[in-house]
Amino acid sequence: MIIEVRFHGRGGQGAVTASKIIANAFVRAGKYGAAFPMFGFERRGAPVSAFGRFGDTPIRLKTQIYKPDCLVILDSSQKNSDNIWSGLKPDGIILLNTNEEFEHNHSNIKTAGIIDAAGIALEEIGIPIPNTCIVGAFAAVTGLIDIELITESLSDYFDKERLRANIKCAERGYNEVKIHNF
Amino acid sequence: MKKKKSEIFKYLKHPDPFESGLSFCAGCPLELLIRLVPKTLGNDIVITGTPSCSAPVLLGQNTGTWHKLAYYGTLMTGAAANATGLARYYNRAGIDNTVVCFNGDGTAADIGFANLSGAAERNEPFIYICYDNEGYMNTGIQKSGTTPFGAHTSTTPVGKKSRGNKNRRGKNLPLLMAMHRIAYTATATMSNLGDLAEKLLKAKEKKNEGFVFLHIFCPCPTGWGVGTDKSIELCRMAVKTNYYPLWEAENGKFTFTHKVKKPKPIFEYIKLMKKFKHLTEDEIQVLQESVDYNYRLLTKIEAE
Amino acid sequence: MKKNSKIKVVTGNEAAAIAASLCRPDVIAAYPITPQTEVIEKLSEYHANGLLDAELINVEGENSAMNSITAASLAGGRVFTATSSWGLVFMYDAILAASGARAPVVMANVNRETPGIIAVSCGQQDMISIRDSGWINLIAEDCQEILDMLIMAYRLAEDDEIQLPVMVNYDGFYLSYLSEKVEIPAVEEVDNFLSVLKKQPQRPRLLPGKSLGCGSHGILGGYLELRYKHCNALQRAKNKFQQITKEFQKQFSRNSGGQIEEYKTADADIVIVASGSMCGTIKTVIDEKREEGIKIGLVRIRMFRPFPEEELIRALSGKKSIGVIDRSVAFGFSGGPIYIEVKTLAQDINTSALISFIAGLANIDITVLNIEKIIADLIDASSGKPYKTVNWIPFEQEA
Repeated sequence: MIIEVRFHGRGGQGAVTASKIIANAFVRAGKYGAAFPMFGFERRGAPVSAFGRFGDTPIRLKTQIYKPDCLVILDSSQKNSDNIWSGLKPDGIILLNTNEEFEHNHSNIKTAGIIDAAGIALEEIGIPIPNTCIVGAFAAVTGLIDIELITESLSDYFDKERLRANIKCAERGYNEVKIHNF
Repeated sequence: MKKKKSEIFKYLKHPDPFESGLSFCAGCPLELLIRLVPKTLGNDIVITGTPSCSAPVLLGQNTGTWHKLAYYGTLMTGAAANATGLARYYNRAGIDNTVVCFNGDGTAADIGFANLSGAAERNEPFIYICYDNEGYMNTGIQKSGTTPFGAHTSTTPVGKKSRGNKNRRGKNLPLLMAMHRIAYTATATMSNLGDLAEKLLKAKEKKNEGFVFLHIFCPCPTGWGVGTDKSIELCRMAVKTNYYPLWEAENGKFTFTHKVKKPKPIFEYIKLMKKFKHLTEDEIQVLQESVDYNYRLLTKIEAE
Repeated sequence: MKKNSKIKVVTGNEAAAIAASLCRPDVIAAYPITPQTEVIEKLSEYHANGLLDAELINVEGENSAMNSITAASLAGGRVFTATSSWGLVFMYDAILAASGARAPVVMANVNRETPGIIAVSCGQQDMISIRDSGWINLIAEDCQEILDMLIMAYRLAEDDEIQLPVMVNYDGFYLSYLSEKVEIPAVEEVDNFLSVLKKQPQRPRLLPGKSLGCGSHGILGGYLELRYKHCNALQRAKNKFQQITKEFQKQFSRNSGGQIEEYKTADADIVIVASGSMCGTIKTVIDEKREEGIKIGLVRIRMFRPFPEEELIRALSGKKSIGVIDRSVAFGFSGGPIYIEVKTLAQDINTSALISFIAGLANIDITVLNIEKIIADLIDASSGKPYKTVNWIPFEQEA
């Protein structure tokens, strides 16, 4: 089985790194993961999407994801954009970084994970980059990957104090994400 | 009476690796220069060159080479980059080396200027020699970035609506290179051979600290319209008029190596050749002002 | 998995940088360009942290990158650079000089669109633009293959029977930024794999004090002879690559080479010919179609120059219909560039339908639906129905 996840964020929020961390954790579990972003010139602030495929069989597909099983939305300002919701499969999972209450706005949402990832990041690392908190929440919402493997993977992207703070973010994401089932 | 031997011979410690009867134009001072380099620096240099006046001899374009040196035929676009690769590799491999990147003004000032400037900015460890004959002479006398104001060339011909090269100042290449504050920059020419040889030897020493740029004023009898016996005289008059001042700069610190007490007017220089023969007094004045400006600038930089 | 190997999740660009480092290059010169930039950033990072012992030249343009490594190569060094698209074009004269001088340089080219319209996006047009430059061109499908091919590239380039520059191409964006599992061999294993080169006669080196000429100027009479020898060396590179692939497989237990990869072609009636990252998607769709009983396979071109004529004839002979998918165009021809080259083999292949599909230009996704439609067209053609010879996808087809 392979789960297809589409990440939406803005340049600087770490959407691409979030997709890499999850792929990394799946590989650490002896499974498979592949993720790639799509953007033109790299710029902070520009909308970015990334495509992640994670599962227990080799992944050879090299296409963008049109019918995601799961949406990870790091930038809540885009949450009302049709582009973001495009193709979400029935029984879909969404994970949203927001400090507001969740509104159920799409009939295909089966499970929604809501977390103030930017707020937690601000508290733990001093900058509102939500990606490591979101990947922790991903482990809780999907149940497909152990949080320990997620935090282990972080060591490939951060070191020293930054690593400790980001591990804290991921763990808080895992523990504090609010899960709504519909 | 025994003729006194020129002091230049004390610098020429190494054999001449070139054949006799090199395929240069008659009277070309480039032959003197190209023999002087390995005779002064040693025959263990690695010399690189582009398609240019020196190519038929150095690279053996269409003929076969006229020397026994290690050489590399480079592209005009990448001459300094090729030399960079050689010098960096030799240094890494612990191979004692003097890489001499030997090019005309077309490569140095025009098409290869970006990589010359890049190599200078990075202070790459080799010697770049530009022999400047103020145009593309090998292809038949076309204007280059160092062609002076008013000069007649085949792409800036004098005609009903043209007075030769209309750009009022040629590119001051040696000054531009010195402004990179490289290990060593110097100007030299074949009328002052002792000075030239001293600068070559200094270049060899200084390239261990970083990039070296030697700019050699090199008249072209064929392209400039001068007798084949007048090349050295042209060099001498270029110095005496301050058209071509002799100086050096170490890491950006300037020194004149030869000061002209009473510089002659530029007319004394330009009257020797045909390429300026159409110039009016006003036009000659433009050239004179350009010479004066360049000299004033150098004087101020030297005082810095 | 090989002992001492490490499994890591890395991008295609990182895989290229790791591969180059593992081969212990003497001189690296490069200039940044999207989507290649990460390669030189990683190499600079390894260098700054003492993990890469090489001369690193931050040149002022790609032209200088190729020129400096070519010279270092002719002096005897092992060299590396990476570029993409306009960078490749900016070093075009130097690319020709490198192959003319038979300098065994190795370069990663991250495929991106090139001529005319600036597009910061994937496409093989850059590689197509330089196909007649006398280089060996390899094309990778995934991140592991990028790493493996670059290691094999040094064996191929520096082999005393070859002595030619090698370019390893991989799709920008789709592979350059793809993070996936890559098995990274220990440096000692790579040393061992490359050690064969040390036993071969040393190539001529341009050294101080040694009378030798290198570079782009020759005697006219010798030109024909040099061209003839260059062309022969390219032909020799085909079998040499097969041989190196076998040795690589023996040592690292992976097949990442060979002129072509044949995927389920043995009993296939219908075959797709393609290269690069899109092949992963094609294989996935082929697996689905096979379950429906459709006899279809893929021939993936791994070696684009020299062109694997004999291998293609062998693999494609007698197939009912063949579709060639190009991620580039051939200006002035109808049909994609690789299609046109396959078409030169038509007499030997003897197929009833040879069809060109042009797809994926400028990051346009080559989707599962696209591939399904291509397969449907090929099925129709194989049963004798009329078909269009050249098809632009998805310009003329719904995604």
